[in-house]
Amino acid sequence: MAKRSVWSDNRFWQRSAAWVTGFASILLIWLTFDTSAQISMGTDADLQNGVTKRVPAPTVINYKITYEMDTTRGHEVPVIGEKEMFFGRDDWSEEEAAELLHLGKLGSQAKNCMNCHTLLGNGAYYAPDLTKAWLDPAWGPEGSLQSMTGKNTKEEAMAEFLQHPSQYPTHARMMPDLGITADEAQGLVAFLKHMSSIDTNGFPRNFGKIKGAVHGK
Amino acid sequence: MASNHLTGVGSESKQLATWYFTFAAIIFGAQLVFGVVAAIQYVMPGFLFEIVDFSVARMIHINALVVWMVFAMFGAVYWLLPDETGIETVGIKIGKLLFWVFAAAIVVVVLVYLLVQVGPATESTIWLIHEGREYIEAPRWADFGIVVVALGFVFNLFATGMKGKQTGIITVLMADMLAFAGLYLAGMFFTDNISVDQFWWWWVIHLWVEATWEVYVGSLAAYGLITMIGAHRKTVEMWLWIEVAMLFGSGILGLGHHYFWIGTPEYWWEIGALFSALEPLPLVAMFIHVLYDWGKTQGAETEKGNPASVIKNKPAFTWFVLNAFGNFLGAGIWGFFHTLPQVNLYTHGTQFTSAHGHLAFFGAYATILIGMMYLAVQGTNGIKVLKSTKSSLAATWMITGGVMGMGIALTIAGYVQVLVSRAQMGATWAGYFDGQSGMWFSQAMDWRLFMGVITLIGFVFLAKDLLSIGKATHHER
Amino acid sequence: MLAPINESVMITEIALDDFLPIFISSSLVLVFGAVYAIVFTFVKVGALKPWLMPFGYLGWVLTAYCLYLMGSLMHVGEFTQKALIVTMIGYLFLPHAIYYMVDKVHQENEH
Repeated sequence: MAKRSVWSDNRFWQRSAAWVTGFASILLIWLTFDTSAQISMGTDADLQNGVTKRVPAPTVINYKITYEMDTTRGHEVPVIGEKEMFFGRDDWSEEEAAELLHLGKLGSQAKNCMNCHTLLGNGAYYAPDLTKAWLDPAWGPEGSLQSMTGKNTKEEAMAEFLQHPSQYPTHARMMPDLGITADEAQGLVAFLKHMSSIDTNGFPRNFGKIKGAVHGK
Repeated sequence: MASNHLTGVGSESKQLATWYFTFAAIIFGAQLVFGVVAAIQYVMPGFLFEIVDFSVARMIHINALVVWMVFAMFGAVYWLLPDETGIETVGIKIGKLLFWVFAAAIVVVVLVYLLVQVGPATESTIWLIHEGREYIEAPRWADFGIVVVALGFVFNLFATGMKGKQTGIITVLMADMLAFAGLYLAGMFFTDNISVDQFWWWWVIHLWVEATWEVYVGSLAAYGLITMIGAHRKTVEMWLWIEVAMLFGSGILGLGHHYFWIGTPEYWWEIGALFSALEPLPLVAMFIHVLYDWGKTQGAETEKGNPASVIKNKPAFTWFVLNAFGNFLGAGIWGFFHTLPQVNLYTHGTQFTSAHGHLAFFGAYATILIGMMYLAVQGTNGIKVLKSTKSSLAATWMITGGVMGMGIALTIAGYVQVLVSRAQMGATWAGYFDGQSGMWFSQAMDWRLFMGVITLIGFVFLAKDLLSIGKATHHER
Repeated sequence: MLAPINESVMITEIALDDFLPIFISSSLVLVFGAVYAIVFTFVKVGALKPWLMPFGYLGWVLTAYCLYLMGSLMHVGEFTQKALIVTMIGYLFLPHAIYYMVDKVHQENEH
């Protein structure tokens, strides 16, 4: 029998596998702690003091959100601006806003949004991405979607659409009626507005800037 | 030994394995049927509108996928346990009871998906109907059921492994299945913060399919090489350990490639890119491993003046080789070309992901699990050398060709989507539908549907073959 | 908290005409990579004639070229650049190392 070499020794590889796995796991756990701290929701005080959080407080619904190019980071980031009315109010308290967001997030799961749409780019590919849906010019003052519903504000237009989607077809592929109530629709719109304020490292690129985009035609 | 390799007669563990395989095959069929429904809806959006909407069909399509694979994975472990450990599975009565609990729970879950579909925005919907989280939609009550069943399965595996002979394959499986079951817990909570939600959601999905499931497949391939072509155990097990090191070494932190755009910090770009670039390496290695062992074993037999094939189960071995190749193609190539953040910025959430999903789940998992079903047919019928039938060949060609065709069609659709909806229109509502309306996109969807139907017909051949091949007379008994 | 990495990964847009070459070259990275590993292993095992070996190494060269093409079209940053170079050099040695080990085990068990 040839001399046994360490490279062909099962025990050596068994130990290597254990060490590699252990090391990768520990690194992942350490990174998880760091990331968890960075993606925990901010507070209302952060918003008032202009502290930027990757995931802002639910009360971000009281503010105007835009998506602007950040030259140092090289991509667009959500920018939280001055106060803005949301369903006729800009003074949603921390509790009220949190409750609304809770309803909306629950609704997004209960209505199975993710099995047609993508949220933060994850989900199904049968319907548009919702990550920055709140910022879509089509829902804005001169947008086709807002005028289609006959409402005067973005949030009311979105809520109306969510309650009666098959009345407002935008494509042969329609959204089905999911029995969304007026309250649920309000929560879902709050959820969408909050999601648009999350710092997604520039995803999606060139959102809603068809004319200004690098490849814009 | 309680039973010889490839002989299932008299083993309760192997009997339980066949139950698991049978149920898995039924759910596999359901997966394909609902996949075809969803594919029709891309082509004819009015099809079953507000009856079985795309969201419902797709939820059943991907949940059935996960469920049939988990069933077949459990079954495969119960199948190989007596061979590896040399004893009957410990606690097999519990295992059998849990099978019925699991199967009944799945039937209830699917019926609720299909009949209730959506609920109001309350916690009770999450508990009773579904959780609305892709792949792990199962309602909370079922989550607890799944944990109980998984723990029972892990108990069977550990008790048997510790009482009987604990081979390298069993050691890897024990550690891997414990992690597999434990990771499910990361997907069992609700949070209002969607970034946190998706962060942990990927722990379950990624650490399953790109780490623990891959290692599981490595162990199955090792078992298959030993039983089907008589490969040398020591070489195979050494390879297995190297594969574990490579798969976990790249796969665990490869999780980073899901953290580019969900609100998580930028450092994941670097981590994701680096470990994603390493992820194909073990897949290449696994592919070479299978060919190397096959060549060596056949070569050794031929030298001894025995030129007959060393393969003891033709259809199963075909599926195992397809697995090695499909893993490399679907998970490797189709994964790699959209994994770096610079390009993933444009491909994330497009049909590219869908193409990769179809090819990878099929190539890496469906193939080897179908192979295990053929091994079980051979064992339960006491066949020495199992040979292919016309149906085995038809099934192999149609399923493989169908899934490849779907993958290519979806890739073309994804490419159109990237150029039109992403690079030019910036992912708005209007940009999305502009991309969907293009001629290339819609033709790709027609082809996808056609290839999906081919796959479904292939499945019919597969089911027929699994039920009848054991009775065929051309095998060596 | 970890400091953000200064290098801006996303500063340059990918040109429209570059998407197709990127997808094709990144697929070919793995295809040629596999060609290298397979030819190398088969020549060593004796399943292929030894004069084919240079084609194996040609596979590696093409892998490296495709990776370079892909990286430059994507405008990858410095860190990724280094990581890709190290990966390519590592990949040159990988089949050698794997073959060496597997062969050792075979010899120990058969002779």
